[in-house]
Amino acid sequence: MTAALRRFNWISFAAMLALVALGTAAIYSAGNAREAAVFHGMWKANLATAAAGLLVYFALAFLDYRRYLDLFAVPAYAGALVLLVAVLFAGSSTYGGRRWLFGFQPSEVSKLCVLGMLAWVYGSAGARSWLRRFPGLLAAGAIVGVPAALILLEPDLGTMLTLLPATLLVLFVARVWRRGLLVAGCAIGVAFAAVLGAVYEAEKPGATAERRERILRYVPLKDHQERRVRVFLFPDRDPNAAGYTLRQAMISIGSGGYAGKGFRRGETNRLKYLPQSISMNDFIFCVYAEESGFIGSVVLLMLFGTLLLPCVWTAYVATDGRGRLLALGVSTLVFAHVFINIAMSIGLVPITGLPLPFISAGRTFLVTVMACLGIVQSVSLYGREREK
Amino acid sequence: MREEASIVSDLSVLATGALVVAGLVVLGFRLAQLQLVDAEKYSYDSVRQPVRTVQTAGPRGRILARDGTMLADNRASVSIAVSPEGFQRPSWRETILAISNAVARVAETVGLPVGLSTNAIGRHVRQELARPLVVWRDVGDEAVARFSENEREFPGFECIETEERVYPQGRLAAHVLGYVGRAETASPAGARFSFRDREMKGREGIEAFYDSYLRGSPGELKVTVDARGFAVGEETVVEARRGPDLVLTLDVGVQRAVERQLRGECGACAVVDPRDGSVLALASAPGFDPNDFVPVLPQALYDRFRANPLKPLLNRASGGAYAPGSTFKPVTALAGLRAGWPAGRESECAGVFELGGMRLHCARRWGHGPIDLRHALKESCNVFFCSLGCDIGTNALIRAARDLGLGAKTGVDLGVDMAGAVPDGTWKMRMYNERWYPGDLAQMSIGQGMLLASPLQMACLAGAIGTGFLARPRLRASAPVERTPVPFAARDLDVVRDGMRMVVDGGTGRLAGTGVAVSVAGKTGTAEVGRGATRRKNTWFIAYAPAERPTVAVAMVVENGVSGGGTTAPKVNRVLKAVFGEREAGE
Repeated sequence: MTAALRRFNWISFAAMLALVALGTAAIYSAGNAREAAVFHGMWKANLATAAAGLLVYFALAFLDYRRYLDLFAVPAYAGALVLLVAVLFAGSSTYGGRRWLFGFQPSEVSKLCVLGMLAWVYGSAGARSWLRRFPGLLAAGAIVGVPAALILLEPDLGTMLTLLPATLLVLFVARVWRRGLLVAGCAIGVAFAAVLGAVYEAEKPGATAERRERILRYVPLKDHQERRVRVFLFPDRDPNAAGYTLRQAMISIGSGGYAGKGFRRGETNRLKYLPQSISMNDFIFCVYAEESGFIGSVVLLMLFGTLLLPCVWTAYVATDGRGRLLALGVSTLVFAHVFINIAMSIGLVPITGLPLPFISAGRTFLVTVMACLGIVQSVSLYGREREK
Repeated sequence: MREEASIVSDLSVLATGALVVAGLVVLGFRLAQLQLVDAEKYSYDSVRQPVRTVQTAGPRGRILARDGTMLADNRASVSIAVSPEGFQRPSWRETILAISNAVARVAETVGLPVGLSTNAIGRHVRQELARPLVVWRDVGDEAVARFSENEREFPGFECIETEERVYPQGRLAAHVLGYVGRAETASPAGARFSFRDREMKGREGIEAFYDSYLRGSPGELKVTVDARGFAVGEETVVEARRGPDLVLTLDVGVQRAVERQLRGECGACAVVDPRDGSVLALASAPGFDPNDFVPVLPQALYDRFRANPLKPLLNRASGGAYAPGSTFKPVTALAGLRAGWPAGRESECAGVFELGGMRLHCARRWGHGPIDLRHALKESCNVFFCSLGCDIGTNALIRAARDLGLGAKTGVDLGVDMAGAVPDGTWKMRMYNERWYPGDLAQMSIGQGMLLASPLQMACLAGAIGTGFLARPRLRASAPVERTPVPFAARDLDVVRDGMRMVVDGGTGRLAGTGVAVSVAGKTGTAEVGRGATRRKNTWFIAYAPAERPTVAVAMVVENGVSGGGTTAPKVNRVLKAVFGEREAGE
């Protein structure tokens, strides 16, 4: 046990606790700016959830991940699929997406299940050699594709997007038909660029309505997605309608300045200029950055670095294939959330509905992320031992 | 597994770490741009976007008579208003409905009519959401008491103390004071405000002429609003200041006396102090009560004013244009004397003046016989003045009229200031497309024809003859005194003064002087207007007193009178008695 405690990654753990604390404070600010009393106590709920998440974290950390991965990878994956189907039929919807099933979001949990499945399939010592070639890539496509398609049906594009880099990296490290993987990666990059370019051509100043119509017919985006890409490309256009959210996000972050306005002093949030429906969730970074300023933003980024870099290190030093892939996939997933969420708040990527780990007020997501990090902790504890 | 993992795999894991660091650095740089480089710009936006500025109105200045009698004052008025921020609902329709329901509830409890339509509430919510909405303006004490008792039950409602105009003297000097309406605060910088409070705005009379003076300086209020526009807090930036008081030259006692004489008549009167132009009284009949215009003039009353052929809102004293009739004769006399007519020369009056085909009769049908200038004034002899006028010519007559202030605005500090008309050849050509006949000159010599003047002009004219100085009439006590000597020889003026003294001492205007404590000089006038069925007489009397050193000059016109000496002179007499007191019996 003393050996385990020595290997326990205290730095990452401390960073996680600090992030939970900052998140609770931000939720307090965002919640108390709202009219409905329900949201005023949200920070307490967040603390309770974090406590529950901590139990999950310790359980997953001190149990040998190899054992539960072998046991549960397939059932958990199957269970996730069932839940994703169920949510399409029995789920309740909020803000334009059918995502909730009895108070929790299956899509959040399913991401972990998918990564667990991938790690188990491609990291096990007895992995078959065909998995390293083209059929392996096809299999991976099926493992990720089915739940991704179900998530897209909700629709929840953002969640799906975070899975993409994690999957690609896991497969690359697992040496699954690398040539094809590189081509696929490039193809995805080109596709993104093409969509951006097409929307730019359609929306650029001086484009006629007819030309816009003609181009957009071939762009596989829904109306609201196209609008978000347009706002991303031309943020100053239409600041009171489509561009309102981004503009208010930038105002709140930018006006935080060097040292911030102080706890609970962010006017953009307090006076509800930052849309209330998203200030506690996808755009909570704005609330945080307005109150804590550039210093706070940098502290937050450094905490995320302190949280994730040890996880990557764990993957690097792990001798077990499953552990390495798990740690890598999970840390990539969490980082994708962090990067996309903050980047969309500051206009670096188009707006996508995506929570910020530990800071946003999402219970399922908080527990999921803590479970992810618990698993990584387990990898750092057991990933270098011989299996008993 | 270790043996299976190649160097490339190891490196790609490390590359992931590098990717994480790179991503965080990119975010850091972008955040530095927003929060350090552009922070000022965004701070400006975040500070500016929730702020609405309101221009607030200060209480209006009061208007006082020269002795301090309050002519226009403000009284405390309580309005009940509702603040929309207490009624926020998810949709605007529900918000408006919530306000509307609350208003109905308060109306029922307090016993006031629901004076506000849902549309009006909707308009307020759309346009002035950040400001309280006045539901009941100028509420009576009883309703206020009932409201205050139950105020706890009506969150969002409050009593607002405002002021309303009140004219304590009622109808007194209504035409001088004018009345107020309501408008947004006005100031050159007003455009940059989000909202502007309503305040009183002068519509007529002194209220209009000195409006910007009385309004005082507006204040500034900063209201913080949330994203939907509801007020969150407010802060006074500049306190609105009360407008300064305005003291008038009006003498309430004289004004009262004048108005008593005009009661039931249609006419006007001006009383000025010829030494400095102070207007002591300025009255027009019929009149109105300016209190009827507060807070707004009821439609029924407005219709009555419009339908009344006597036009009670018209200020006849300075805005009326009447033919001066015989009160113009002193002007003709002065013109003649200046042209060299000897004061003592007698001329024969046979009762009729003939010129071409025109015949002008004298008041005394059988004629005055041989008569000199002083007696011609005393008896108001038409024939004498016709021949005098024709003798000196049009230009000399016109110049004398203009020298005494006719045909030009008096310059009184009141919006209504009629210039009247002193016609000449070009004027007649322009107006009637007819040339100037000698008959026109004869008519003008006795104040008939196309000559027009207001009572205020005639009062100034009388005073100018009495003092030798033409003073600009003024209503504001602190307005500068402007007086110019009239270009007539003192000797000539004395002749006319003698004549006008004789008018009151046993002449046509003898009724004007009886019982007045001081000596009075004056001139009667009976101007005929209209022809045939609409033919009627406007009767005049102009006077100054004391005759030796005039301190008061009066001009009064009564429409549809019998004669200047019979109708108007007694009225002026009573006015002068009010000013100077009555002569004790036996004196």
